[in-house]
Amino acid sequence: MIRLYRRYVDKVVDAGTAADLFEPLQNAIELEHSTIPPYLTAALSMKPGCNQDIAGLIRSVTGQEMLHMCIVCNILLAIGGQPSINHMGFAPSYPGPLPMHIGGDGFEVGIEAFSIRLLKETFMRIEEPENPLPIRVALDMPDYTTIGAFYAALQKKILELGDAIFQPASVPKQVLEGRWFPSDQLFAIRSAQDAVRAIDLIVRQGEGTSTEPFEVKGTPAHYYQFGEIVAGRRLVVEPAGFAYAGEAIPFDPDGVYPLKPNCRIADFEPGSQAHVRITRFNYDYNCLLNALHHCFNGEPDKLDVAIGIMYSLRTDAVALMQTPVAAGSGLCVGPSFEYVRV
Amino acid sequence: MSYLDGPRINFSGMFQADVSTINNDLKNFDVAHFDPTHQQLGPGGWNPEGTGSFRLVDCVISGGSLDGKLLTGAHQDAAIGMRLENADQRVAGKLVDLDPQQQMVSQIWGLRLRLSDGAGDPVFAGAYETAAFTNLWKRQLNASAPNDQQLAAVYTSVLQGVTWRAHVGSALLDALRAASEDGALSINMNVFGYGRDPSIPRYTLGHVIGSIGPHRAGSPKHFVMGRQMIPVMISRTLTPDRQAGYLACAVDEGAKRLSADFGNVLPIKSADGGFTDIGRLVLAVSRDDPDARLDKVPAAALAVLGEIAYPHGDPARSQQWYAQSAGIVELDYGAAGDWVAQNIGQRPLLLCKPDGADPGRYQVVLQESIHGLYVRADQFVYRLEPGDTADVDFYCTRFGKPCATTVAFGTQLGMMGGDGVGGEGPPINTGKLEYAAQMTTDAAGHARLQIHAPAAGPGNPRGYIDGQLYGVGCTLPGQPAGSPQNIWDFVSLLVFDRVEVPAQPTWHADIQPILQQYANLYPIMSRHLIDLGDYDSVLPHVRILELAFSLPRDNPNHMPVTRDLSDAKRQMILRWLRQPGPDGKPLKGMAPPSATAVPAPAPDTAPAPAPALALEPLQEAGKTSFVLGYQARQGKPETQP
Repeated sequence: MIRLYRRYVDKVVDAGTAADLFEPLQNAIELEHSTIPPYLTAALSMKPGCNQDIAGLIRSVTGQEMLHMCIVCNILLAIGGQPSINHMGFAPSYPGPLPMHIGGDGFEVGIEAFSIRLLKETFMRIEEPENPLPIRVALDMPDYTTIGAFYAALQKKILELGDAIFQPASVPKQVLEGRWFPSDQLFAIRSAQDAVRAIDLIVRQGEGTSTEPFEVKGTPAHYYQFGEIVAGRRLVVEPAGFAYAGEAIPFDPDGVYPLKPNCRIADFEPGSQAHVRITRFNYDYNCLLNALHHCFNGEPDKLDVAIGIMYSLRTDAVALMQTPVAAGSGLCVGPSFEYVRV
Repeated sequence: MSYLDGPRINFSGMFQADVSTINNDLKNFDVAHFDPTHQQLGPGGWNPEGTGSFRLVDCVISGGSLDGKLLTGAHQDAAIGMRLENADQRVAGKLVDLDPQQQMVSQIWGLRLRLSDGAGDPVFAGAYETAAFTNLWKRQLNASAPNDQQLAAVYTSVLQGVTWRAHVGSALLDALRAASEDGALSINMNVFGYGRDPSIPRYTLGHVIGSIGPHRAGSPKHFVMGRQMIPVMISRTLTPDRQAGYLACAVDEGAKRLSADFGNVLPIKSADGGFTDIGRLVLAVSRDDPDARLDKVPAAALAVLGEIAYPHGDPARSQQWYAQSAGIVELDYGAAGDWVAQNIGQRPLLLCKPDGADPGRYQVVLQESIHGLYVRADQFVYRLEPGDTADVDFYCTRFGKPCATTVAFGTQLGMMGGDGVGGEGPPINTGKLEYAAQMTTDAAGHARLQIHAPAAGPGNPRGYIDGQLYGVGCTLPGQPAGSPQNIWDFVSLLVFDRVEVPAQPTWHADIQPILQQYANLYPIMSRHLIDLGDYDSVLPHVRILELAFSLPRDNPNHMPVTRDLSDAKRQMILRWLRQPGPDGKPLKGMAPPSATAVPAPAPDTAPAPAPALALEPLQEAGKTSFVLGYQARQGKPETQP
C-alpha cells in the first residue's frame, strides 16, 4: 500500500480551520504532480509504433493524475487557499523521495525509460491500494499510514468544518474547462459534499474500491492497470474472482529508447546537443509550471496555454530521447524535470 | 525610427531553428506517392524529425549604446549582462517556410521575448511580430563543419505589447523605454553560422547577434527607413561581387551623427563570426550623384566621414567587437567639414577601400541606391484566402528621407519555383492577382497597395500542393533603368485554393487526405504522438486537435505547424471535429473503393527531370538545394552557395 508518514494525516486530523488544511492540500497537489514526470517519461520512451498498448495505459493513468492535480487545486482554491506550482521544491528532485514520503523510507522515484521492473518496483508501489485485491494486507507500521487514509481524513475534516469554509467567490477562479475532463469529474467545488465527491473520484481512480479493482466498469484503477502490463494480459472478471487473463498486452523490450536513467542538466557538456536539448526541455517544463501556476491563481483561461505547452513538451521529449548522451555511448538523453527559474 | 537610431541594447548568443526538412522537397507533398523512407535522415534531409521550434539560446545583453556612446560592461549600465529569454509561460516560436516553392522567406511565428535581470526577474517582455528573413547572402566563407549553412541573413521586426517593470535601475533601459512609442520596440537579428550536421553540437543551432531599439508609430517595422546600400551579386549566386553584404545607415543631420549597421555586411571566416580582412574600409559621401554604379573613384570625388575599424585577424577580438556593438558603427561627422554637413542629405553614401594599386583612388565596395531612391514593402510575405486582399505598405525614401513619388508594381518572382531539391516543379504565378499598376507615395513616403486574390481562387494549378504562388515587385520610374536592386525586395504571396466546405465533412472524403499530408511531412508528431493519417489514432486526440486547429496562425501552438493550410480547410477540419455522429465520434464516411487506384500526377503538374546537381547527400533538401535549383533553372550551376 502507499505508505506515508502518519504525521501528514495527523495534521489533517488536528486542523481547526480551513487555513490549517492549506498545507496538506498543497502537499497533495505536489504528490499528484510528482507521479506525472516518471509516468510520462515511461510512456514516451516507446519507439514509434512499439508497445503502444502499454504506452496508452500509462498515458491514461497520467491523464488522471493531471485531473487529480486540478481537483486538489480547486479544493484548495475553494476554501480560500492559493496553490503554488512554480517554486523550487514543487517537483521532487528525481531520483528522490516523493512528497509526504510516499512509499516509505528509502523509496525513491527516478526518471527512466519504461521497463517491467520500473513498473513493478516503482509505479505499482506508488499506486498500491490500501487493500490490494484479492489479498488483504495488514497494516503493521504505526508511523505510517496510507494515501487513502490521508484523503479519508481530509474528507472527514472537510465535512466537520462544513460548508462555511467554502468561498463562493473562489468558483470563478477554479479551473473547470470542460474540454479536457468530463464535467462529472472536474466540477466546481462549492460545498463540503462537492469536495468529498471529488476526493472520492481521486481515490477510486487511483485505487479502485475495496471490493472492485475497477474505477468504473471495464476500467481498472491505476494499480491494476499497471498490474495488467506486468502480467501481460488485461484484467477480467472470472467466476472465481479477478484475473489477469484477458487480451494479451505484448511488450517488446527492443521497442524502448535506451535512455540514461535520471539525467541531469549538469551531466552534459555545455554547448553539446544533449546539453542544449535537455536545458530547453527543462525550460519548457518550467514554462508549463508557470502557466499552471497562473492558471490556478486567477487566470483559469490559461489552461489551454498550459495544455499547449504539455503537447509541445511531448515532442521536445521525443526529440530529446533520440539525442545520444555522447558519441558512441549507445544511450540517449532522458528528460530530467528539473526546477530552473524562467 | 528603429533600432539603428538608439538608444539600443545589443545581444548575442545562439538560436535554435529545429525545422523539419521533409517539406523542403515538393514531391513529399504527394500523398499518393509518398515514400516513408523520406521520414528518415538523409532521404528526408538533415532534420526530418524537426519540431519547427525557433527560440533564442543563451542570449545575453553584450553591449549597448546611449547618446552615441558604446557601453560594454555592467559597471557602465545594469542592462549589460542581462539575459534575453524566450516566453516564460508558453512554448517557443516556430520557423516556417511559405511554401516548398518559396523557401527564401522563412518566417518566425509566435515568438515572445523577455529581458530578465541577474535575479531572473523580468524587465520587459513583448510579442515578436511575425517576420521573414531577408538580405540573404553567402557570408560565411568556409564551412566549419560538413553541410554548414554558409548563408547568413537578417530578421527585422518589432516587439509588440511590451510590458515593462516599473523600476529597472538602468539608465540605458530607461532611455530606451522613453524613446519608444505604442508599447513597441524595434528588434534586429543577424543570423549566421547555422549548423546542419547531426554529429556536431551546433546541429539546428546558429549564431545570432542583434539589437533592440526604439520604435516609433508610423515607422516601417521590418526595415530601417534610412540609407540603403545594396550589394550586387555575382550572376545567379548569393556571393557579392565586392565581398560586402547589406548596409543600412541612419543619419541624424542635426546632431551630425551617422549610425551604420555592419551587422550583416562583413564576411566571416567561419561559423563563429570571426571577420575576414576585406581591407581598410572608410565610409564616405560622394561629391557627385551618379546615374550608375561606381567602381574606382579618385579621392577627390568623395568626402571621408570616418574609418570602419572592424577587428579582423584575431577571431576572439572580432567576436567581442561584434557582440558588443552588434556591428553598428556610430560616426560623428561634425569634423568632416561644411560641405559634408550641407550635402550628406543629397549625395550618396559610399563604403570604400583604398585602391591598393593607386593611393589616390578608392574602390567602391558598397554604394547607396542610385539617386538615394529606395522603395520596399514593409511586410513582404502574405497568405491569402480566395477573395482576400493583402494591404501591403510600401515606403519610399530618397537619401533616407520620406519621398513622395510614383512607384510602379509588377510581377517579380525572385528564386521562387522548382521542386526544392534542384529540379523543376509545377508552374507558379498562373492566373492573375489584381493590383494597381502604379501608385504615388504620400509625404511620409507611404503607399498602401491592395493586392486582391481572385474569389474563385487559383484553381488548384499545382495539383497536390495547395494554392498558387505569386510575386509582386516594385520599381521607381524616377530611377535610371538597370540601377542595382535588392534581389529580395519583392512581395511573396501564397493564395490558397477555393474549397467548398461540406455541411458534414467526413474522414475519408474530406479530412484524411489533408491530415495524411501532415502526417507524412511532420513525423515528430505522426510517428511518436498522433498518427494524423489514421482515424483511430486521431480519435483520442480530438480535443487537442480542435484546440490547435482553432488557434490563430500567430499562436505558437497553431496547427499545422507549417502554416500552409487554408482557413477554409482548417474550418472544414474544425467542423468535422465538432460534429460527431451518433456514436459520438467524428464522421468516418465511406472508404474509397480501392486505396491503390490512385491516378498519377496530372501531366501539367508532373515535375520535369531534375538537372544534375552536385549536392552533398544531406543537402538534398534545404536552402542550399533551393538556391542551386534556382541556379540550375536559370542556366549553368555555379559553385555551391
